[in-house]
Amino acid sequence: MARIKGGVRTHARHKKILKAARGHRGARHRLFRRANTSVMKAGQYAYVGRRLKKRDMRSLWIERINAASRQLGVTYSKLIGWLTKSGMELDRRVLADMALNAPTDFAKVVDTARRLAGASA
Amino acid sequence: MRTVHISSGDVQRKWFVVDLEGKTLGRAAARIALVLRGKHKPTFTPNADTGDFVIVVNADKFALTGKKRDTKVYRHHTGYMGGLKTASVSETAVRHPGQALTLAIAGMLPKNTLGKNMIKKLKVYATPEHPHAAQQPETLDLDKV
Repeated sequence: MARIKGGVRTHARHKKILKAARGHRGARHRLFRRANTSVMKAGQYAYVGRRLKKRDMRSLWIERINAASRQLGVTYSKLIGWLTKSGMELDRRVLADMALNAPTDFAKVVDTARRLAGASA
Repeated sequence: MRTVHISSGDVQRKWFVVDLEGKTLGRAAARIALVLRGKHKPTFTPNADTGDFVIVVNADKFALTGKKRDTKVYRHHTGYMGGLKTASVSETAVRHPGQALTLAIAGMLPKNTLGKNMIKKLKVYATPEHPHAAQQPETLDLDKV
């Protein structure tokens, strides 16, 4: 039976890893062994990063809503209290987008929430 | 819907002027740091400088609680033996007007390139006047930031 050598498969695998290591620093995108560890570690970072992204975005929305509501004289904490009480189901992503792109609508939301929550000031 | 990210170049920057006379140093610095960083605006983006410019006048006439004007000491080391230099708040006001405020604010900004660029938007003057009339600065009410 004819002998099958591994060179073609190996070369293809090395090529795949080196392609995935594009943009890594120094030897980590040039040499297969270094690139291999680098790509494995990159995958772990990416896994963590996909989860952190959700928390990071939520805290960014909160920071933006807080800035916009403080311009209207309400703290973020108070505003969320009113929204919960009044049963308005706008999430933080939508509120942050309104605060940035539709400030007048955001102000209306704040006023409505204040009214429905029965707050005086 | 994607959350919008603002880049430093796209920011509309305003100019504010603050009179520090009688204001408590740390409290004023905290508010000014927020404005320099842009956290007072809904455009805030953590990886960009979205802040405004702040001009501070009467920068050495701030208030301090207790005896800190004489007992609070700024230290740095020159790297040579015995090279620890110290200066109290009252001494810095004479030798480096406005330095106490700049240090207080710089300590409240991010410790990276972004933070170093943010502090450049702070213009500090120990005098009651400033040369930025052309920028038409608005008065910044520290209690409302």
